[in-house]
Amino acid sequence: MKTNEWVHPFHNVEKVEEYLQTENYIADRSLCLTSKLMFDLEKPMLLEGEAGVGKTELAKVISKTLNTPLIRLQCYEGLDSASALYEWNFARQMLEIRLSENQSANKEAMEKSVFSEKFLLDRPLLQALRHKGEKPAVLLIDEIDRADEEFEAFLLEILSDFQITIPELGTIEAENKPIVILTSNRSRELNDALKRRCLYLWIDYPSRDKELEIIRRKVPQLNEKLAEKIAEAMAKLRTLDLQKNPGIAETIDWSMALLHLDITELSQENILATAGTFLKHRDDINLVEQIDLKEKLDL
Amino acid sequence: MADSTHNLINHTQNLFIAARKRGLSITHAREIDVMRSLQGIDLSNRDDYRLCLRANLVSSREEELIFERTFHAYWDEGEVENSNDYILAKSELLRNDLVAGRENEGHKDMLSEVTTSGEEEVTRRSNLISRWDSNAPPLDKSIDKLAKYLATRPSRRHTIFHKGRQLDMRNTIRKSIREGQEISKLIRRKKKVQKTRIILLCDVSGSMDVFNAFLLQLMFGIQKKLRSSKTFVFSTKLTDVTNLIKTRSTSGALENIANQVRHWSGGTNICSALATLNRGILREGKASATTLILISDGYDSTPTSIEMDGSSTLEKELKILKRRIRHFVWINPMYGASTFEVRAAALKTALPHIDFFLPAYDAKALHQLIDGLSKI
Repeated sequence: MKTNEWVHPFHNVEKVEEYLQTENYIADRSLCLTSKLMFDLEKPMLLEGEAGVGKTELAKVISKTLNTPLIRLQCYEGLDSASALYEWNFARQMLEIRLSENQSANKEAMEKSVFSEKFLLDRPLLQALRHKGEKPAVLLIDEIDRADEEFEAFLLEILSDFQITIPELGTIEAENKPIVILTSNRSRELNDALKRRCLYLWIDYPSRDKELEIIRRKVPQLNEKLAEKIAEAMAKLRTLDLQKNPGIAETIDWSMALLHLDITELSQENILATAGTFLKHRDDINLVEQIDLKEKLDL
Repeated sequence: MADSTHNLINHTQNLFIAARKRGLSITHAREIDVMRSLQGIDLSNRDDYRLCLRANLVSSREEELIFERTFHAYWDEGEVENSNDYILAKSELLRNDLVAGRENEGHKDMLSEVTTSGEEEVTRRSNLISRWDSNAPPLDKSIDKLAKYLATRPSRRHTIFHKGRQLDMRNTIRKSIREGQEISKLIRRKKKVQKTRIILLCDVSGSMDVFNAFLLQLMFGIQKKLRSSKTFVFSTKLTDVTNLIKTRSTSGALENIANQVRHWSGGTNICSALATLNRGILREGKASATTLILISDGYDSTPTSIEMDGSSTLEKELKILKRRIRHFVWINPMYGASTFEVRAAALKTALPHIDFFLPAYDAKALHQLIDGLSKI
């Protein structure tokens, strides 16, 4: 993204891959290419996929790579503009009014003064738009599917024009167009208008080889054979009829757990003892307890 | 090189047309974005070309699969309807340059054609007037209550309300400045209430004939009370009867429906009905504010097909439906009978996706249903 003379370093797909790998993020070509397009076209990127496949992590890694702040807006049901965009500092406003009680300031001037920038509290979206610096900030709008659908409509102005309108102050345009990444776990369908403004990418569970590479990079102390076994076991576990398939985050947790417990081999007992790190549903644990893991996971 | 680029642009535009035919919404803004994106990538790499188009043209997992199928059909199978397009697709440029990346076809096509007719499809005119019970008690009050529970929801916006729980500090401060800079009165607010759109989907297959009187009453009642609601009937086909039942005269409306809905008392294809809704009215912006009320006994005369991932087509449609709408209410006229068991395969598949599963077979049962809803 080129803003204020700043030229993004992601000149080609290979470069993106290289940058992400330096932060131990293993990305496939589609992710690298979409990330590059996000910079070239100055468009937000919408990442969808199951929980734990690395959607949020990508925003963190891009922010680290560019050495620029990550501004995160965690969405939830009931999220409103006061929490996402801006809020007036009412306590300060009241104090100001009390202080000026004795002065004979006219009411219009008083109102203008009380609803000025001085009393404005920036929330994540406004922070991202008003970020001052050589490089733009990375704005992560996490789990947008958790917010109400009206909130999506509210985001349209920001995502397409990188500006917002505050009734008392007018339109505020981005000083440095932020790099916007939206994530969704697909618990509900997002509005077409929002999706049209974004580049779209579905992130699937990783292949066995990619997962092995991730384990190697994230838990380098783990012995190679065990890492291979974990990657294979994870791929096979995802073929079972589980309520919630384990994601990459769970693979890393499991690897770390095995490392800390000094376990060097996968056995039925070891897997069941540490199942809580990668299975988060009671029914899934029951299912795994009932099957012959040696045969199913080819231990 | 200029010719190659020109050819590629032609191909890409043909691909837009092919993708549109398969249901992708490709706007001019998206076309421009694609052309801008192509400037920044290595065009000799077929995979990059495909991924670049995909990132710009799709906005969901399902669309991704449609795109992959279209792209593959265009470049590898020459499955373009217009022979001129086919000749273009065969041109040497991308045949030579875009050979790489076939092994990267990561997406299996999970979309299958949905059958639109069941074994018991009928085309006859039913005498609906004889099924109308003119002595039945009016459902107006019950439907009012039903709407209260299902058709409203709190908005993100607020309105000033003197008994509201939240303080409206912005307006309090404004008022205090206007009235001498002393905070004399706290202004309160509450969330506005928004209307939810209701879609009524009525099973009018043969197995539902005994409940026709109630069904018709409910259809007319909801349409009268909630003008923005939509009413569909289905058996082996789906028909929008909203405009047909908006007429003032009930007998006239029944005549209209009888003339238009020739599949009344036919077989049942729930999956096809849901698929049509998912690809039609539920693609519109208001879908997320929609409550779908399906009235059916769940008996489906059309065997559902199985997807490549092992799930049934009905299950796939239910998942899409559930993601799009706010609430899914299934009213089953059989539910409530002492001998009721979930035997119907379609109902078994749907149960995990239903928000409210309720009984109702006549006006009295509807009153009970609403009482039940108030306790949820």
